[in-house]
Amino acid sequence: MELSEDDVLHILKLIDESKFDYFQLEVGELKITVSKGDPIPISASPQNVAVSQASAPAPQTASVAAAPAQKKEAPKPVVIPEGMVPIKSPMVGVFYVAPEPGKPPFVTVNGPVKADSTVGLIEVMKVFNAVSAGVDGIVTEVLAQNGQLVEYGQPLFLVKPS
Amino acid sequence: MSVTRVLVANRGEIAVRIINACQSLGIETVAAVSEADRDSLAAQKANRAVCIGPPRSSDSYLKVGALIAAARGTGCDALHPGYGFLSERAELAEACAQHNIVFVGPSADNIAKMGDKLQARRIAQSSGVPIVPGSDRAKNAPEAAVLAKQIGYPILLKASAGGGGRGIKLVSNPSEMETTFSTAAAEARAAFGDDTLYMERYIGNARHIEVQVLGDHFGNVIHLGERDCSLQRRHQKIIEEAPAYALTQDVRAKICEAAATLARSIGYRNAGTIEFIYDNDSSEFFFLEMNTRIQVEHPVTEMITGVDLVAQQLLIARGQALPYKQTNLRLHGHAIECRINAESPQHGFRPCPGRISNWQPPSGDGVRLDSHCYTGYVVSPYYDSLLAKLIVHGDNRAQAIDRMKVALATFQVEGIDTGIPFLQTIIDNPDYRCGKINTRWLEKKLDEYSASYVA
Repeated sequence: MELSEDDVLHILKLIDESKFDYFQLEVGELKITVSKGDPIPISASPQNVAVSQASAPAPQTASVAAAPAQKKEAPKPVVIPEGMVPIKSPMVGVFYVAPEPGKPPFVTVNGPVKADSTVGLIEVMKVFNAVSAGVDGIVTEVLAQNGQLVEYGQPLFLVKPS
Repeated sequence: MSVTRVLVANRGEIAVRIINACQSLGIETVAAVSEADRDSLAAQKANRAVCIGPPRSSDSYLKVGALIAAARGTGCDALHPGYGFLSERAELAEACAQHNIVFVGPSADNIAKMGDKLQARRIAQSSGVPIVPGSDRAKNAPEAAVLAKQIGYPILLKASAGGGGRGIKLVSNPSEMETTFSTAAAEARAAFGDDTLYMERYIGNARHIEVQVLGDHFGNVIHLGERDCSLQRRHQKIIEEAPAYALTQDVRAKICEAAATLARSIGYRNAGTIEFIYDNDSSEFFFLEMNTRIQVEHPVTEMITGVDLVAQQLLIARGQALPYKQTNLRLHGHAIECRINAESPQHGFRPCPGRISNWQPPSGDGVRLDSHCYTGYVVSPYYDSLLAKLIVHGDNRAQAIDRMKVALATFQVEGIDTGIPFLQTIIDNPDYRCGKINTRWLEKKLDEYSASYVA
């Protein structure tokens, strides 16, 4: 399946009118990520299309931020649903979902984790610190954005413990 | 050098003070807070707060990496370290420089030079500023004993890496030297990772006098008069005043000039304080150390000069030239600051954390309060006990004392104990009112006060 420019514009319009502030679509090799806030640098794979809602609506390739994006607003408080366990950031720093750009993320939604599984990295002054799950279970949601500042104690993932 | 968004790398009243100064200049702020300070007044007042770690300061406010990550991640182009914590660590100033963050303070080189107290002594001496008769490094107890004999007992053993009243031991006579030397060295090694010791003659009847200086990037250095901070408890200041009312005009002018000369000699920039000890008996003054940061007691200088020192720090950091010349600074009246701590004077001044159920600070002409407290605020056991700085200004010292008396009497704090009842006895004391005090005077009053409650 191919996506035309009109398709992308249509998708953007739908997202704009919706309550969602983050949207990701994967069709085969093609991946579209749309966010209403800051651009979300996912990975440097050339097939990826990252479109910030505020920028030109035409699909462009690889508008991936090299430096960590700055987050001027504090993260919204996350309500932890009944029966779920958050994996919290052990320190303040820049959060990464994958060992390096272009590599698959450590964990994906619906994927299993063990207590000692590495689920992400936090970069503090060029030192990368592994984040462990601390719980056995299934990841149900990724709460933090790749390449963004996360605070100490900020929930990064939701896990349904097994 | 742009300063448009400042990471406030501190807590308590000084974090609020920095945020206020930033707001007055249209600068945005991000409060770096520990988990215990998420709901602090600074966190509420800043444009945003960022949680940098757990409550213990060694895991949060003392972590250079966490502060740099927080500053970069929140789009800050500057960082204000406040006082205490990392404010006098060259490491933080260096890390800021590496990450293109403007450090609101002196250069790393200024900090390192003055942080080594022995080196600071040498710098003072070479700029012609009198230093307390004493020694260079004493390598061991026998060498110290020889040096002490030349200086004359009693002497103080001081850690070169200390400062701010920490790492000081009194040696009254030769028989105490061996034990005290090894204890002092061990403590300095444990506290500062450096056991270098030096000696100074102990001046028993002394006043603590310090001079506020400001320097900019263009080599302009001015002084903003002096403060008398003689009322101390275990080397921690409790009541501070400006100007130094007990000194003659001539001595005041000489002390201030000495301070400016010293600051100029190291190309000092931003706000700093040069501390002196004044011998009441001989009327001599000697350099003690330099604090390369804003000080707790800076408001008394602000009250008599009309200069907003924290705003000046930000403007200097931004690269602006000092808007004042030495000759057009005028001092007006007298200012007194009382530090209001969470402590229980009736129980040997033990710290008193807890929830403040009622907080009604005084107000009125010439009254200023710098504080992070409010009704419902929980005083955390993790940090120092400073709740507020109560500052008054009057046309003269007598009026300032009268205003302080009324302000303390109308200050209502419930839920926790504070030092206010003790401070009231000091402000009312005839010896205090006529200025017959020295650096040991308050300790005696503390003992008398505590004894009256034990009896």
